Parts: sequence; structure tokens; C-alpha cells
Amino acid sequence: MAEGASMSFGREARLELESDSVVVFREAFGSIPNLLRAQSALPRVIAAHAKLEEAVSLRDGAISRIHKERILLSIAADRRDNYWIALDTHVLTSLGVPENHIDNLLNDYEHADLLASDLALLEFCLKLSRDTSSVGLEDVEALRARGFGDEAILEAVVLTALAIYRCTLSVALGSEPDFKPRNSPTKTLRGAAAPPTVVSNTRHKSGRRGPYVPAPYLSPATFKPFAVIQKTHGFIPNFFRAQTLRPDLLRAELEAVGSILLPEDVLTRAQKESILLAVSAANLNSYCVAVHCNMLRGLGLSVDDADQIAVDYRLSQLSEADVALLDFAVKLGTRFSEYSPEDAAKLTSFGFTREQILEGAVVTALNNFANTLQMGLGIEPDFEPPSIFEKHKVNPSGGTTTLMRREAVVQVVETSQDADAELVAQAQCGTLAAFEELVRRHSRLIYRALIAILGDAADAQDAMQDTLLSAFKHIAGFQGRSKFSTWLVSIARNAALERLRGRRNTESLDQSDTEEDCKFRPRQIAAWQENPEQSHSRTEIRQLVEKGLLQLPAKYRVIVMLRDVEQLSTDDVARQLGLSVPAVKTRLLRGRLMLREWLSPYLAASCRGAGQ
Amino acid sequence: MITCEEFFDEFADYLESQVSVEVRQELELHLSQCRACHVLYDSATKTIRIVSESNSFELPQNIFDPIIDRVMAKLRSDPS
Repeated sequence: MAEGASMSFGREARLELESDSVVVFREAFGSIPNLLRAQSALPRVIAAHAKLEEAVSLRDGAISRIHKERILLSIAADRRDNYWIALDTHVLTSLGVPENHIDNLLNDYEHADLLASDLALLEFCLKLSRDTSSVGLEDVEALRARGFGDEAILEAVVLTALAIYRCTLSVALGSEPDFKPRNSPTKTLRGAAAPPTVVSNTRHKSGRRGPYVPAPYLSPATFKPFAVIQKTHGFIPNFFRAQTLRPDLLRAELEAVGSILLPEDVLTRAQKESILLAVSAANLNSYCVAVHCNMLRGLGLSVDDADQIAVDYRLSQLSEADVALLDFAVKLGTRFSEYSPEDAAKLTSFGFTREQILEGAVVTALNNFANTLQMGLGIEPDFEPPSIFEKHKVNPSGGTTTLMRREAVVQVVETSQDADAELVAQAQCGTLAAFEELVRRHSRLIYRALIAILGDAADAQDAMQDTLLSAFKHIAGFQGRSKFSTWLVSIARNAALERLRGRRNTESLDQSDTEEDCKFRPRQIAAWQENPEQSHSRTEIRQLVEKGLLQLPAKYRVIVMLRDVEQLSTDDVARQLGLSVPAVKTRLLRGRLMLREWLSPYLAASCRGAGQ
Repeated sequence: MITCEEFFDEFADYLESQVSVEVRQELELHLSQCRACHVLYDSATKTIRIVSESNSFELPQNIFDPIIDRVMAKLRSDPS
């Protein structure tokens, strides 16, 4: 790349030549690659990359080192990535692969005299690298039929993800090749004819079942990286659980994720999670969208704001600078053939430093690594993705990366399904009778929402009055983004929360979970009656449950009420309360177990009578 | 076999039927051999069942009529 055409990424910064990670690269590639020098401003991202290379590409595994290098070279050639073509060619040559074989691989791998099984593996990786959504269980089964075992399949997917990580970085950093490329692809400009990685909407399959390789149980007690991720994420995403067949790969990935995403010295966590969310959304990867929506929620973003980034970040509450950062990341991550150094240069005008832009590029590369790996292994979601995002995804409006504007989406979402719609329209025009009918219809729902938070009947009845007045005042602003009953219940919750906050000795809902919450262990271990419903009348059981629920601290009571009494999904509970799903899960378990402890003396096998 | 501590780490997801086949098999093997965890599991699922089926705080519709009447009267006299 021409000097001065854009910005350089701290090329002048000195690398710590003897650091472990630099040594890894020097030994693997014969010298220190320029791509690495370009990242010298952030040694921790170099260390992350080194971990991945060491575990994934640089050693023999179920797939041999030479086979891996062949796959990496072929993916680089397929993407017209001159940087990696040159470096991988050099590595293959140094491993003793004859030059004419490398030429054949570069020009026409189908006629490179590969064994049928090697060709099948290579084509699987190419298919995954071109369009992550095109790979399904049938492709994995085809590899099994060729004799590949689960470990080889897992390695192939992770290797392909690494190739995408490498190529995303080389596009972003625009480093000069370390060696003169030896073949025709050198004539092609980087990315000139490369297929975009963005998935085509029509081929997205949402109904397939994964994961494709078995995942033995791995305990956070014995596998420390899981304990760490549980602490940082609040749970262990299926993304990691699906790879337990190979703890070595998992360890490297978790270390890389830790050193790229957790530090806040350059970009903030929220900025990085926004990149992951926006690029995953542009890649139509619902798994990653759901994870990063939740992470952002855990970082304090409102549900609506997080959803908005997934649907169309340009219409979100983000600052102009953060929108520009996402423009950069989405283009780099999904339309790399259109990417130019000016895209990075533009960010400096928004005040981003070189280190920040570099980290943005690395996070984008990591995102594409994760998107590829998730689709390649068919990893099942931990949470439901935002319904608005899903609606959009299955009803694409045209171009591969054109996201629907939110306003357009929300209108399709729910109005037609809401039985209250007509009355709502009348009430919005000021018809009091219509409003009255609506609130009579939903009064019990409102009451349950109120008692759940307030835990006191008299208080709940007072709050009901506030709720109805507030609903009337605001009904004109109801836009049908949710069902009317959902909206009404959220008004009730706000009224209740306001009241709760006004109380002395506030029982807070927002209070974060302490170590003690997570470590709660049950004490009562007496066995329960076989069938408590038979030894107690319905009324007795109901009174016991109500008493038990009311003695729970508010932050647990609300969640148990919404999940078990009102039967909302965990995801909806999180949405309603503006909490992350992991936080809801932790409190739900704790609340259920506290209730169990409270009920135990009445329902234990040794106790026959009704609750006193 | 997994330990009680490990069982407990997965317990929240297990109650929500959100564990993979492999993890479920491990947990069920543990349950079949550990009385304390079995008691915990049995009583926790019964707790969830009776809470879900108890119709707690389900009051007769008309109990709210006076409140609604009061609010509507207020709105009719002064809709602003």
C-alpha cells in the first residue's frame, strides 16, 4: 500500500522482540510479519492472535499442519488476499511442499491432485468461508462419510474462522506482503473480485439443528477458563460449551477473547460490544446478535437501545462518532472488497486514535471469527434474539446488507395480532368508554404486576389507581410497538417501581448480584411429600405460596412472579425489567430456592398437616 | 461422575430445560446416585409446579370495580 495513502497503524511503534507472542510468529513464519508490526501499538492483541495461531494452525492435530496450511492458503487465494497468499506460500514452501503443487493450489485446487477426502475438506472450508449460512448438518455428515472424525471437523471449522480473522485484519491494516507473491493472484488487487462474506438472506436456514459435534461436559471447577467466563459474562455461552471436545482450542479462544474484549484502556466495553452486535446483525447471525444484545444490556444499555443497534444502528441513540465506528466495522466485516484505507482515516476526524481504530479492526476480525465458528458448528442459541431483528431477517427487504428501518419493522410486528387494537384506537381518540373497557379487561394482569413488585395488597390497590391515570394520560403516545396489554403492564411496573423507590429502606430491584447471590446454597434437604397437592387443599397451597412469595426480597419476588406465576419466558422477564438474561437466571434460581426453603417445613414428607 | 458443586452450577439451566444432551446425561447420572441433589431437584420442581398452578394473587375480576369506577369518575369530570 502506498505510504501516506491513508493512515498507518503505528508502524513506528517498537515491538517487544522477545515477547512470547512475537517469538511464536517469528518461529512460525521465519521473520516477524508486517501484519504484526502494524499492530505493535497494542501488544495484547498480538498476544491474542498468537494464542489462536499456536492452538489452531501451527501444530498437527486431527488435521496435519501441512493440510491446515493448504486450507489457509486456499481461503486466502479465494479472497484474493495477497498478504496471506504470500505468507502462506512461504510457509508451505518451508514445510517442503513443492512449488508446482502450491501453484496448482493457487490456480485451480480442483486439479491439484488432492486426495478425494482432502478435496472434500478443503471445499467444506471454502464453502464456510464464503457464506457462513450455507453450511449445514448435511455438509458435516458428508465429511463424516469421508472418514473425518468430530475433532477434525471441529478443527476445520475453527481453522476457517481463523482464516477469516487473518484476512479481516490484513484488509484493515493494509500491510505490505512480507514476501513477493509467486503467482497470478498477485495481479489481482486485494479484494477486487472477492465474494463478500455477508450471507445472502435467502439462504439463511433458521430451522436446522445443531450443534454438529458432540460436546462433553466440562466443569468450571476443573476447567478454569470456564470459571473466568462465568464471572465475566455471568454464564457460559453455548458458543464455548459447543467446543468442549477440544479444551486446548477453547483455552486459546477464551484467552484471545479476554485480551481483546475485556480491557477498557482503548475502546470501551460498550463500544466493542456494539461492534460485535452491529457486525453480527449485518452478517444475519442471530446467535451472536442475541448474545451481544444481552451483553449490552448487562452493560447498562436499555433493551430498546440494544435492539435498535441490531436493527439499524444509524437510528440508535449512539453518538455520531460511535455510529461512524460502526460504519467502519460493518464495512470491514461484511463488505471487505469495498473497504478502503479512507474508511479508517475517516474515523480520525471523529477523534478516534490509531489505537482505537486498530482495536476496532481487531474486534471486527474477532467478530467474524465468532460468526464463522458459530455457523460452522451449528451452535444453538442461548437466548432468543430480539423479535424485531428476527422479523426483519426472515422478511428481508432486498439488498444483502440493507437493514430495515425500525419504524417500518415495528409496525408490521404486532398491531394485527392484538385483539385490543380497535378499542385502543377509539381510546386514543378520547372515547372514555373504550378506555374503561380496556382497563376492566386487563385489571387482574395489572394487579399481579403491581403486587409482584410491591408485595403488599393495600399498596398494590393504590398503585392501581396511579397506573390507570398514567395509562390514560399516555395512551395517545402508544404506538403499537408491543401488545397493548404488555404496554399497560409496563406502565403498572413503572408505577410500582416508583412507589417502591419512595419507600424507606428501599428494597432495590436494580441492586446488582453479589457473590453471595451466585453462591447461594440450599440448606433444607428433607425429602418432600410425593404429591403435596393431595395432602393440602387448593386454598391452603395458594395461601402458602402467596405468603412465601411475599416474604421474598423484591428483586427475587418480581422475577419468580413473572416467570412462574405469570409464565413469561426468561427472555421476556429480562426485557420487561431491563436486566440481562444471565442476571435473571441467577435471581430466578435463587428466588425459587428461597421459596423452596420456605415451603419445606410445610411440605416435607415428615409433615402431613396444612401450613400453619 | 460430576460433583454436587458442578451439579449445582448447571441447576438453573437444567430446571429451564436449557442444557445440551451431554450435560443432561451427566446431571441425570448424578441425580440417580446422589440423594441430597435428588431431594433438591425433586422439591425445586415441585415448588415451581405448585407456584405455577396455584393461581396466586388471582382475584375475582369485580374486586377492582370500585377502583376503576373511581378513576373513571375522575376522568369523566376532568379528562385532562
